[in-house]
Amino acid sequence: MPERMNRRLNATPIAATIILIAPVMIYYATFILYPIGATIVNSFYRMTPRAGQIIREFVGFQNFRALFSDKIFGIAVRNTLIWAVVGTSVEMVTALALAFIVFFKVPFHRFYRIAWFTPILITGVIVGVVFRWIFNYDWGLVNAFLRLIGLERLAVNWLGRPDLALGVVIFVHFWNTFGYSFILLLAGLSSVGQELIESAEIDGANRLQISRAILAPMLLPVTVTTMILAFMGKMRAFHVVWVLTNGGPMNQTETVATYVQKRAFNWSSLDLGYPSAIAVFWFVLVILGVTAINRWLQSRTENL
Amino acid sequence: MSVIRLSLARLRRIGVPGVLLTIVLLVFTILVLVPFIWMIMMSFRTTGEILADPYGLPTQIRFTNYVRLIADPAIGFMRYFWNSTIVTAGALLLTILLSSLGGYGFARRRFSFPGRSRLFTVLLFALMLPPQAMYIPQFTMMTRYGLLNTRTALILLYTAYAVTISTFLLKTYFAQMPEELEESARIDGAGDLLIFRRIMLPLARPVLATVILINFKEFWNELLIALTMITRPALRTLPLAMMNFVGENASNYALAAASLVVGMSPLLIAYLFLAERFVEGITAGAVKG
Repeated sequence: MPERMNRRLNATPIAATIILIAPVMIYYATFILYPIGATIVNSFYRMTPRAGQIIREFVGFQNFRALFSDKIFGIAVRNTLIWAVVGTSVEMVTALALAFIVFFKVPFHRFYRIAWFTPILITGVIVGVVFRWIFNYDWGLVNAFLRLIGLERLAVNWLGRPDLALGVVIFVHFWNTFGYSFILLLAGLSSVGQELIESAEIDGANRLQISRAILAPMLLPVTVTTMILAFMGKMRAFHVVWVLTNGGPMNQTETVATYVQKRAFNWSSLDLGYPSAIAVFWFVLVILGVTAINRWLQSRTENL
Repeated sequence: MSVIRLSLARLRRIGVPGVLLTIVLLVFTILVLVPFIWMIMMSFRTTGEILADPYGLPTQIRFTNYVRLIADPAIGFMRYFWNSTIVTAGALLLTILLSSLGGYGFARRRFSFPGRSRLFTVLLFALMLPPQAMYIPQFTMMTRYGLLNTRTALILLYTAYAVTISTFLLKTYFAQMPEELEESARIDGAGDLLIFRRIMLPLARPVLATVILINFKEFWNELLIALTMITRPALRTLPLAMMNFVGENASNYALAAASLVVGMSPLLIAYLFLAERFVEGITAGAVKG
């Protein structure tokens, strides 16, 4: 076939292409891209609603400068970073261990898989309420159990103590999400070729050796993805904190997500510019974090 | 059967450490399930019983909490269930419409044009961003068009957050289907959109099921956007209603527990029947991508 004719047959049908691709892209531009741009622009303004209108006043970098002297924002950033580091590490270690255990088909592995996956289906609202009850000082399960076994001393006001509340929040969120990382890693393990494992077994390798020499390196891409998703999940977690502690006591469990919400919609000052600046500062931080995790794990792959 | 026998044989081979591991795993699993069990038990008791003995079993199976939840007009819990159903169904329809068209358009060589893959990368950008990066302008936008306190606002915004991953999943699926399917239909004179609607879309049923399940979970559970867009009590979705309900009935734990059980039951029932599909859907985006 002459090339020109070939090209004409393969020419892109313009109308059909527009009908297929334009709706989703226009929708995305309207409801996602435009708002992101607007958030960036808004962060340079003071925006106060007055008589049903929003009065805008350009303030330059003032909102960003104000961030550095905002004590609650400082606590929120600290808590979010602690959560991102501690929560992600704990979740990755646990989920990796559990995924390997289930992959080697220990007794009851089917039951485990279903049971561990179930918490991720539940909204953070329900999780928050139930764990507020579980950690209730007077009649919560934790304290009732501690009193039952004679550890009355350890039955404390878990959510009311500034030094303990963040730990409880991290734990509860872990309960809610570890199944997600677990199931991703397990799927990653299952996609490793069975022949490879069998031939190693024939060569006399035990499970630990197979795990270290074959499974771990081949699981690395999925591990990177899972870790990035877990990290992003902690950075944007909102439901659980909002319902469990609402940032309290005394802002000790405030996260950037809850603080943006409070400054934007629950604050008496009603300025939408300042929370926009928080949001901008924050998504730059998220993008940097994701890039850093990616770089770090990629460089480890090259060393293998 | 063979799987169970295999496990037992292995267990015997592992010996004591294996048994210890099994005990640890079972205790861990019980701890994971305790909140569910406790919540369900509470919903069948009275608040007085709960306070007297927090971890006691229900003395009798009482449905009074559930009956009150549904029948008491002052509570009217079913209204919130209905709101969530409308919002979830509406957003699912819109998401499927936009992302199946887009997924097909991005997947096929036939519809390629310069910059198409870059455009797709732009679409994926949203995966990295927290909703806080865009929800204040979304709020002012909805205010401007008079959509604040409407279910429409939630349908529009939930769809916006869902199209990226949905289009991605559909594109991946369409891309691995053989092109001969369409070519023979094209020779018969069928247009591109007819081929899409009559041949490709029906063939994409498995991935459509996946897309529906993962988005169902997100839409049904969403709080942040609902909290921002809905201030009128009658329009609350379930997560919002449950949060307020528990606050307003702070002393009636049994009734509150029943409301939580009602709120989570659709997803748990769906999971019971479609466990593998759920797992597949939730891993598809991350592992294959």
